[in-house]
Amino acid sequence: MFGFILFIAVIGFSLSDRKELTMPEKFLGDSVGFAQSLFYKPAGIIAGFFEDIRNLRTIHEENEQLKLLAAAYARDKINYNFIEQENKRFKEELDFTERQEQLYNYKYRIAQVVAVNNDTSNRTMVINLGSKNGIKKNMAVTTVDGLIGLVSEVRPFTSTVMPITELDEKSPNSNLIAATILGKLDSFGIISSYNQETDRLMMTKIDEKDKMIVDDVVITSGLGNVYPRGLVIGTVENKQVGDFGLTYTASVKLAAKFDHLTEVFVVEVQDIEDAAE
Amino acid sequence: MNGMSINRLIGVMFLLFIIEGAIMPWIIPVDLAGRIVPHFTFVFVIYAALYSGRHHALLLGIGFGMLQDVVFFGHLMGVHAFVMGLIGYFTGLLLERKRSTLLTALSVIGLACLVNDTFVYFIYKAFRITNESYAWALLDHILPSLFLQLVFALICYVPARKLCESSWSRGSEKEEE
Repeated sequence: MFGFILFIAVIGFSLSDRKELTMPEKFLGDSVGFAQSLFYKPAGIIAGFFEDIRNLRTIHEENEQLKLLAAAYARDKINYNFIEQENKRFKEELDFTERQEQLYNYKYRIAQVVAVNNDTSNRTMVINLGSKNGIKKNMAVTTVDGLIGLVSEVRPFTSTVMPITELDEKSPNSNLIAATILGKLDSFGIISSYNQETDRLMMTKIDEKDKMIVDDVVITSGLGNVYPRGLVIGTVENKQVGDFGLTYTASVKLAAKFDHLTEVFVVEVQDIEDAAE
Repeated sequence: MNGMSINRLIGVMFLLFIIEGAIMPWIIPVDLAGRIVPHFTFVFVIYAALYSGRHHALLLGIGFGMLQDVVFFGHLMGVHAFVMGLIGYFTGLLLERKRSTLLTALSVIGLACLVNDTFVYFIYKAFRITNESYAWALLDHILPSLFLQLVFALICYVPARKLCESSWSRGSEKEEE
């Protein structure tokens, strides 16, 4: 009975809106994180080696594709440089303030995944960057493919990442994502929850007249000031009339893969730092 | 001497905890990731309950459950500590004095894993962190992971029993004195 009361008390404590972890939590998390980091990477290397052998046949085709992509990228890069310069000139002419200029200047910090939780309702990951490396709560985490999640807890040398597959409208502490469509920036929707059974994200509150169609790429819009803008989330799979018939909902297929993660990028937004200081 | 072997047990379980989080994600095939999840420390808690006594099981369950809750803190804290401690204690209460055979041990571990996952599921359900139906959760990850746990339990039955009994026999002698 006493244990039960204690259990409820601890859960209540952890549910409350805490800004920071307590000292023992930080210490324990960091020391275990260090031990885990000794194992995760070697295991990944060995597993990767066997996967490489298996993939040997497809490597040639992949190489061809990558060459094509690289050519396309080089072409786009020229275009991008030109547009960036032009954009800079326009900003100068329009007298942008320092803050406005720095707003979309993101830094990508590379981090190693150290361990993955074995609880299916709570698939958190531990990464090997912490507050000593400038990581703060609520920074977005991505891979090369797309958005993974948010930094949910920060310790001095490690931090915990809450994946977007834990998104839930009804949960007391989850951050909804304001999303838009690549190339159709006036589209708008809110990624509100993740359906474990179908493996898809639900995008709600889409306007009736919205031009989004199936196979469009969904990206973060940067509205709402939690997620930075322009991070790929996934592709629209289907779109249907929502619960009340006034708005549409769409199901979104995730772009990032969540298993066998090694390197992830933590997106550092200049703006958050300014606000904190 | 008793202290030594319980220390060894804790060391082994800590190693298992790290393997669970850092090595198993690589061994489980990509298609089954998220469906087969390892609970090796929990299997050892049950072994401790069977062959080392309910108090050891309670302490180990709470300790390693809490470790998992703290390191992977996401929604709630203390869920695994509570469930693992509780199940470890009650398994010990029922079966610690009987000299369980391999078959009993395996069936008890299978049952305990089911109860463990079910408890965790319903706690999350109560706090509205998960919305899936129980039948789906059962088929999606509870039953597939059960097989992994049973295979693991079978593989380490002999060393686990030795390890746990070495800390039990001396403990009981002390109690008898």
